[in-house]
Amino acid sequence: MGHVCRPGTGPPILGRRRALSAPAAAGPLVRLLSERLADAASDLWTDEDTVEIQVPRDKIVESLRTLRDDADFGFFFLADAAAVDYGVGNWFEVVYHLYSDRHPTWLRVRVKVDRENPVTPTITSLWEGAMFHEREMYDMMGIVFEGNRDLRRIYMSPDYRSFPQRKDFLLPDDAADSAAAGNRPLERPETWDLGKLDDAAAHRDEPGGPV
Amino acid sequence: MTTTRSRPAPEPPADPDEPRIPDPIALDAMATAAPRQEFFGFDIVPPPDRPPQTEREQEVYTLGDGEMLVNMGPQHPSTHGVMRLVLKVRGEVVIDIDPVLGYLHRGIEKLCEEATYTTVLTYVDPMDYMSAMHNEHAPAIAFEKLYGIHAPRRAEYIRALVVELNRVFSHGLMMGFLALDIGGLTPILYGFINRDEVVEMLAAISGQRMLFNFFRVGGVNFDTNDEFMSRLGRWRANVLDTIEMNEKILTENEIFRARTRGMGTLTAKQAIDLGVSGPNLRASGVPFDVRKAHPYCIYNELEFDVITHTEGDTYARYMQRIAELKQSIHLIDQIVDKMPHGPVQAQVPGIIRPRPGRAYAAIESPRGLYSVYAISDGGPNPYRFRMRDPSFISLQVMPKLMPGHLIADTMAIMASLDPIMGGVDK
Amino acid sequence: MDPAFVETLLGVGRFVAATTLLLLLTVPTAFIVGQLELKIIALMQLRYGPNRVGPRGMFQSAIHGFKILAKEDQTPDRADVPVFTLAPWMVFMAAAMSMLVIPFAPGLVAFDSDIGVIFFFAIIGLSVVGMLVAGWASYNKYALLGGLRSAAQMVSYEIPLTLSIVGVVVLTGTLSFTHIVEWQLEHGWAVIWQLVGFPIFFIAAAAEINRTPFDMVEADSEIVAGPFTEYSGMRFGFFYFAEYVALFIMCGILVTLFFGGWLAPWPFPAQLDGFAGTVYGLVWFFLKTYIFVFIAIWVRATLPRVRVDQLMGMAWKALLPLALINLFVTAAVVLIFKL
Repeated sequence: MGHVCRPGTGPPILGRRRALSAPAAAGPLVRLLSERLADAASDLWTDEDTVEIQVPRDKIVESLRTLRDDADFGFFFLADAAAVDYGVGNWFEVVYHLYSDRHPTWLRVRVKVDRENPVTPTITSLWEGAMFHEREMYDMMGIVFEGNRDLRRIYMSPDYRSFPQRKDFLLPDDAADSAAAGNRPLERPETWDLGKLDDAAAHRDEPGGPV
Repeated sequence: MTTTRSRPAPEPPADPDEPRIPDPIALDAMATAAPRQEFFGFDIVPPPDRPPQTEREQEVYTLGDGEMLVNMGPQHPSTHGVMRLVLKVRGEVVIDIDPVLGYLHRGIEKLCEEATYTTVLTYVDPMDYMSAMHNEHAPAIAFEKLYGIHAPRRAEYIRALVVELNRVFSHGLMMGFLALDIGGLTPILYGFINRDEVVEMLAAISGQRMLFNFFRVGGVNFDTNDEFMSRLGRWRANVLDTIEMNEKILTENEIFRARTRGMGTLTAKQAIDLGVSGPNLRASGVPFDVRKAHPYCIYNELEFDVITHTEGDTYARYMQRIAELKQSIHLIDQIVDKMPHGPVQAQVPGIIRPRPGRAYAAIESPRGLYSVYAISDGGPNPYRFRMRDPSFISLQVMPKLMPGHLIADTMAIMASLDPIMGGVDK
Repeated sequence: MDPAFVETLLGVGRFVAATTLLLLLTVPTAFIVGQLELKIIALMQLRYGPNRVGPRGMFQSAIHGFKILAKEDQTPDRADVPVFTLAPWMVFMAAAMSMLVIPFAPGLVAFDSDIGVIFFFAIIGLSVVGMLVAGWASYNKYALLGGLRSAAQMVSYEIPLTLSIVGVVVLTGTLSFTHIVEWQLEHGWAVIWQLVGFPIFFIAAAAEINRTPFDMVEADSEIVAGPFTEYSGMRFGFFYFAEYVALFIMCGILVTLFFGGWLAPWPFPAQLDGFAGTVYGLVWFFLKTYIFVFIAIWVRATLPRVRVDQLMGMAWKALLPLALINLFVTAAVVLIFKL
């Protein structure tokens, strides 16, 4: 086991560089996408192990259905459904990652969602496992999925009034500046009744030690 | 639905001018409470805090004849962390189930947007705390893709080694948890014997027993040392006996089999539809293993098969994990034989600033497909850091599997799905 | 003074003394059995168990008992208070009163009656009521579930338990525990005659006292503590003691009925006379009883829990027919061979 204990003593290397945008070994997939989803898919981009397309909001369900059911595509597994916020004034994006055993790369499907009115169709009719993904996206970003039977908050409490992962949500230290500030009674000094507290402060300097 | 009946509303003071300290909890309760219906001092029906918001919620919380809602609350000896399961039961039979999550939500994804790429690797450890190495592995690969480097080969081998060790003890503990939830007190302690040895080994190499902070963008933090290797050697000599000890108590035990066979059967089609991955999926017959499907790290140089079982019940998931545990031990043997010389960390700057881009990295954690989607905007912090945790998705399976079984089976089926709440709630 | 009044006073005094003695006997038994459980299960799980309190941790269980005395005794807001308070007493009394009929040594029985077996049956029924009432009065869904489970389980297993004892009764021809042991002195231990009855009794007794693998009632991984969820302080202490005392009692009854009570096994003289005989019998009785206590604890450390419906299925579909067959065969044998 000696060879395992002693590391080599060569010069430090930078790590082998990998090209960020090497064309994927996914010729067939790229061709199929350009043929079958030409009207829906746009902005095709490839990486060494991912092929990415953008699909408009109104065509997403049928595109995903094609990708899932068509024998040549065969993307039967929804690996991930994520939401990205590109900032105030920009847009949201819902990103789906799909897996197929016929193609050697992941497929990333990006859907642009309007930020002022973040509504997009649900894909729970295709994959029931998208339910929790969509609940999380609703809870964290505020994206509403039409047709979802159970769109309620999953992490935050049900009466929470803000969306934490948005770029304009502020962490608790800045909570006073956030949109949801000032609603809880403890945050509204005019509701406080300090009568009893005065007594404790008034007796502060008396001998006897802390109570 | 939360029921806040623990504190009754305070009575108003006799003299309206008399000062009193406002009670914040009571203020909230008063703001949201509905009037209580009373019948000679007893509540007839506890008032709902708020009407159901969605179709599904209405379906779950509407009680039929003879049904009641039982809360397997966040504090419970055997939900795997803090999770609330609202069971609608008729007697002992579960009719419907609603998992309520979020008790352990720490906002890790949001926190990581303010942290440098290396710090992110420390933030993700406590997500799925039973398999912390896997939690770090996926972001490390994603950030390396963004930055445009590969880790040195020795680093990749060490990564595979610790990741497989982590898998061994995670599966070993799952056997213990399953037995504990069914009532056997001993297998979990045998699982912990195994875990203790592995964890001491990993502490020798990374400095920490549980939340390892071992991976770096571009490699791993420390190289193997003598203590690690001697512990590894001793462990490899004994591990199969320890697992055998556990198996002997459980696998052929009549009571265990009666409690787990035929329980919570998940068909392959259901499993794929619900997004289940990992041992749960393979126990239902689908041979999907990320290590074979999209090989990462050095898994295409190692020799192993994808194990599946066909029944998809609790017993099959248990047997699947034992088989994978033994397969991981076989993998560890191969890794130790093939480990090359070399540096263990690529030279990257302390704060890396990758070019703007997107990267997706998926690995096989003991619970399933664990993936990271990272977006970089050129700055020192990730613009978006998204983790897809397999336990989170596996929990959706509960309302499909549970109805028709007894309350006692709830725990058995949940333990066989092996969720870890840290990952579920992020 | 009026002699009748003195007589009454003396009677009261005797009663108080007897009760005190009974409690003094019961509580250390609970401590000893509890300590055995802690230590044996720990050693089987490859850990030390309690090893600080007292030499080798011997006093841990006793300290648990005293600690429970010191804890706060809460009653839930909407519980049915009189019934809630009464339930632990019922369960504990069931355990304590069963101690009365067990013959520990020749002549050393608290209540030597000709119908000891019937008294025993009656008393173990009381603990069923106690558990059920505890679950109901707690105003807690978990407790309710636990109480109902316990009622169902204990009532179901009482029948095979009773039938297996009746097998011994038919064999020996007497309902008195002392006479059963004396029968075994002449004819050998009853277990040889009741090879099927003994396992039925053991299983049914384990189910009766809610020991793993039949501890669905207090399955702490599912319904927290079953009917005892809302109990704290000394009330919980009563349940806790009652469980261990009941374990001791069931093993004691098992030994009395099937393994010769105070009699010593073959190479040793079965019985001696006088004071030495009492001590001899006492030693053998406790030895045999604690062997079975050890076996029960061993089973607890090893086996997982049987589910409620499987448990009931086993009682009604497996144990009951077996017990009935056992009874018929025993009766036939007794009749034929005019034992």
